[in-house]
This record gives sequence, C-alpha cells and structure tokens, in this order.
Amino acid sequence: MSEKRTILVIEDEHAISNFICRALSANDYKPLAAASGKEGLSLFFSHGPDLVLLDLGLPDLDGLEVLSQLRGLPQEVPVIIISARDRESEKVKALDMGADDYVVKPFGVSELLARIRSSLRRFDRLKVNQGIQRDVYQVKDLTVDIAKHQVIQGEDEIHFTQNEFKILELLAIHAGKVLTYDFILEHVWGPYGGSSNQILRVNMANIRRKLKENPSAPRYIYTELGIGYRMLED
Amino acid sequence: MSFFRRFSALYQWLYTQFHRIPSVPRNVLITGGFLCGAYFISDILMGHTGGENNSALVFVLAVVLISLLTSGYRYGILASIIGTFCINYYFMVPYSQFSLSYAGYPVAMLSMVAISCVVCALTARVKLQAAEAVSREKKAKALYQLNERLNQEKADIQLQSARETIRGNILRAVSHDLRTPLTSISGSAAVLLASGEISEKNAAMLKDIKADADDLIVMVENLLSVTRIQDSTIPLKKREEVLEEVAGDAVLTTRRRFPDFQVELVLSEDILYLPMDPMLIKQVMVNLLENAVRHSGDREHITLHLYRQDNWAVAEVRDRGTGLSPELCQAIQSGRPISRDLSGDTTRGMGIGLSVCQSIIKAHGGFFAAGNNPEGGAVFRFGLPMEDFPNE
Repeated sequence: MSEKRTILVIEDEHAISNFICRALSANDYKPLAAASGKEGLSLFFSHGPDLVLLDLGLPDLDGLEVLSQLRGLPQEVPVIIISARDRESEKVKALDMGADDYVVKPFGVSELLARIRSSLRRFDRLKVNQGIQRDVYQVKDLTVDIAKHQVIQGEDEIHFTQNEFKILELLAIHAGKVLTYDFILEHVWGPYGGSSNQILRVNMANIRRKLKENPSAPRYIYTELGIGYRMLED
Repeated sequence: MSFFRRFSALYQWLYTQFHRIPSVPRNVLITGGFLCGAYFISDILMGHTGGENNSALVFVLAVVLISLLTSGYRYGILASIIGTFCINYYFMVPYSQFSLSYAGYPVAMLSMVAISCVVCALTARVKLQAAEAVSREKKAKALYQLNERLNQEKADIQLQSARETIRGNILRAVSHDLRTPLTSISGSAAVLLASGEISEKNAAMLKDIKADADDLIVMVENLLSVTRIQDSTIPLKKREEVLEEVAGDAVLTTRRRFPDFQVELVLSEDILYLPMDPMLIKQVMVNLLENAVRHSGDREHITLHLYRQDNWAVAEVRDRGTGLSPELCQAIQSGRPISRDLSGDTTRGMGIGLSVCQSIIKAHGGFFAAGNNPEGGAVFRFGLPMEDFPNE
C-alpha cells in the first residue's frame, strides 16, 4: 500500500474512540477521531476519509441524521455503524439507509478490523468494476454464474429453485455487504410480492442444506441475527 | 343546633324502627293511632271549650300527618272518611248518633273529605319528590365513590408507571455505563496485547484483565435479560426465527470467546422455524455452552444439537466431561432457582447463568431439563413450542 487509508471515527465515548484509534494505527490505518456529529461531518469534508465508523448514539446529532448527510453526497464512502445490542430496528434502519455494515457494542477489536477490511475491499472492487455488470461471482470454491443460471460448488453443479437462485445472486452481487431481510424480499419477490419473512428464511435454510453449510462455520453466507444475511468475500 | 341534631337523630331512629314493620300493618297502625289521637284530643278540647268547630281541624291535622307517614293515597282518604263520620258521631249535636238533619252538615262533611283528599295528593307528591331526591343523592354518592375509586386506581397506575420509568432508566444507565467502559477495557487490553510491546509477564496479566472484562460483559448482559424477563410488563420481543441461525450465532460467539475449545453445532433435518426472542434464546445457548466450557473439563466434545421432537424445537448441549452432581440435577429438575451454594465457589457464575436460562425458557413457554449422559458427561436440554404454520 502506497498510502495509509484514513478512517474517521465518530464516537463520543472517549475511551472507546481511543482504543479504536490505537487499534487502527497499529494496523496501518490513519485514524481521525470526532467526538460529535458536527465535528465528524466537518472532519469528513476537510479530510475525505476512506471509511467512516459511526456511533448511532451521539450527543448532538442523531447518528442516522449524520448517515443521511453522508449518503446525500456524490462520492460514496463506506460507513460502518457502531450500535448498542438492544436497538435492532435502528441498525436495520441504518443498513437500509445505505450503511455498509455494523458492529454491536460490546465488540472485539479483531471483529471490528475484519469488518473494516471487508468494507474497504468491497469498495475498492466497486471502484474498479464501476459500471461493469459482472456475470460470474466467485466465493471460495463457489461460483455463481448469473448468465448461465448456474451454481457450481467445487466440481459439482448444485440445483436451486428459481427463488433460491435469485437470493444467491443478490447476495453474490452485494458480497461483503449486509443485506436486510426487507431488502432481499423486495428484490427477489418484488415490492408487492406480499412475501413473508418465513418464505425467505425457509429458502435460506434450504440453500444452506444444499451447500452443506453449517451456520456455526459459515463458508459463504453469514447470518446477521435479526438483521439479514451477508455473502462473504473471497 | 345540637338539639336539632338530636331530634333528627331520634327521628331517624324512629323512622328506621318503624320501617322494620311490614308496610300494611304499619300503615294501618299509623292510621288507627292518629285517628285515636285526634279523637282523644277533640274529646279533651270539647270538655274545655264545649264547641265542635275545633274537632274538624284536629282531624284534618291527623289526616295530613297520616298521609305524610303512610305510603300512597289510600290511607289518607280512608282516614278522612272515618274522621268525618267520627266527628259527625261523637262531636256534633246530636251526640253519639249519625245525623244529617242540619242543612250545613253534608256540606261540611264533603268539604272536609275534599280538603283531606287535596292534602293527601299534595303530600303524596311531596313524598315522591323526596324519594326522588333520595335516590338522586344515592346515585350521586355512588358516582362519587366510583370516581374516588377510579382516581385511586389512576394514582396507583401512575405510581407504577413512574416506578417502571425509573427502572427503565436504571437499566439504561446500567447498560450504557457498564457496557461502554467494559468494552473499552476489553478493547484496550486487546490492542495492547496485539501491539507486541508488552513483556510476557505483563501480557499474562493483560490477558486476565481482558478475560475478566469479557466475563463482566456477559454478566451484565445476563442481568439485563433477567430484569427484562422478570418485569412482566415488558413483553418478549418475539418474532419468527430459524433456530439454526440463532444457534450458529451462539456457537460463533462462544468460539470467539474460547478459541482453545472445540464447540460444534449439529443441525436437524427439519427446518425449525418458530417464534422467539432471538437475542434471549441466543443468550441461553451461549450460557449453556459457556457452562460446558468452564465446568465440564471437556475441551473437545462440546456439541449443540438441534432437533424436532413432536411439537417442540429442542436444543441440547452435550459434553463428555465430569457430569453433574445429583443435587444440581435435582435443583434444575424441580425448576427452583439454583442457589450459589449449590453451584459452589469453583463454579463461579454458573448459578446466575442457569437461572437466567430457566427464566428465559419459562417466559417462552418452553421446558428446561438437565441430566447426565449414560455414556458420561452432562446434558442440558431446552425445548420451545413450535406453532403449526401453514406450508407454502
């Protein structure tokens, strides 16, 4: 890497922001700390960071308000939400508003770093492939071929139903990003599909069985409990 | 004033005593009594004055009082007729016999009956109004009491909701003020450990700091759940979940905390889709797995099995360790909360973890059991009721 990536940490708890910044600099990132939403926004505009870590519980602005301001800008920057455990609806809202990922307090350093790496990689890939619609997605030994409507695991082709394939396709296109249940339902069954959560969850359980995937050791699809699903990247 | 009060008390007493007697004999008694009274007074008056004019007035007074004290018109009118004849018989010339010979007599008798009737009608109306007033007052009183009671209930509810708000605030404070510093303690320790600038001796200490902070985080989560469960006013945040996803998350969390242990998840053939509070159920699984990690002495065979049994979605944590003492088994089977002394000092935190599990499962309407595997090791099992849902 020629230059250190800049990461803006918007977090009002000094101690937490402190150890996050230490961990970031120890891992070759350049951290920028902001203790409030307004400070965060002004640092964002002056420094143009590569990624934003955003706490939803800020003293001045609502975290979601900061997020919507960041999302209103022409250049997209990945945002990872930091939130408390019991505020699921807030997390879902943030993800639906375009946040990339989230970590839940209390979180571990390695988990946070993994999510940062994953988000940055995804954005780099997006930049490279800008405007190009890919036909084939590869996750480990799994190949999702959209044009041929084919899924190959290792050497073997696996047969999926129409909807199962659509779910896999959607997850593969957005690999690395958390997709909420509602997002998947809307894109697979359509906004007026009248589809229920149950159909999606049962479909996912079937996909998992066909891929011989154990949710405790996910190789392809990671479950974000109560939020949605995410396909892992290579 | 006090005389008046005493008089009204006496009147009240007489009134109630009198009203114990059934209405017909009471009315007859009143009518007879007053007529006799009128007769005697008229008799005395005639002895003194000699005139017969007064007796008519005395009898009219008696009729007025009778119609006041009896119910309905009948007794008043009856009394007026009897009175008229009585006057005619006893107090008019010729005495002790009926006579209509003088021209004025029939007119006097008729006018007396007419006056009595009018008085009766008037008093009856007065009485009706009085009765209405009494019933209105009764209603007003009942309304007032109801209002009073409602106010009391309202105050109670307000007090309770105020208490709940306070409790909610305390919980929020606990969750925020403990979680945040614990997160930063654990996180800072992790950063320092990873920095490579710490000597081996200090690194061991740092590891302990991190492990203890992590334990406390788990404990805080447990306490929060227990408070939430015990507060029956907060309903469970139930929604449909696939049990294997919750279990997968629980196993991942446990592996992350105890990377040196082998923890496996064995899925069921059936898709177990059922309503639950996923965060709480995950916590039960994490607690049971952690229990096995800490207390079984087994490092390699800790497994979480999921299966369906009739209408129950069952999760089972098995290990091949030392197993459970009979006392602990019994305590869990009986469903009473596990006390600390049973779990002993060596099993720190086991008590609270297991009671949290029990209350969470109970709140879900499920069952919780524990025992020893005949092949060795402990088994903790819980089941959640599955609702039959229509197939697609």
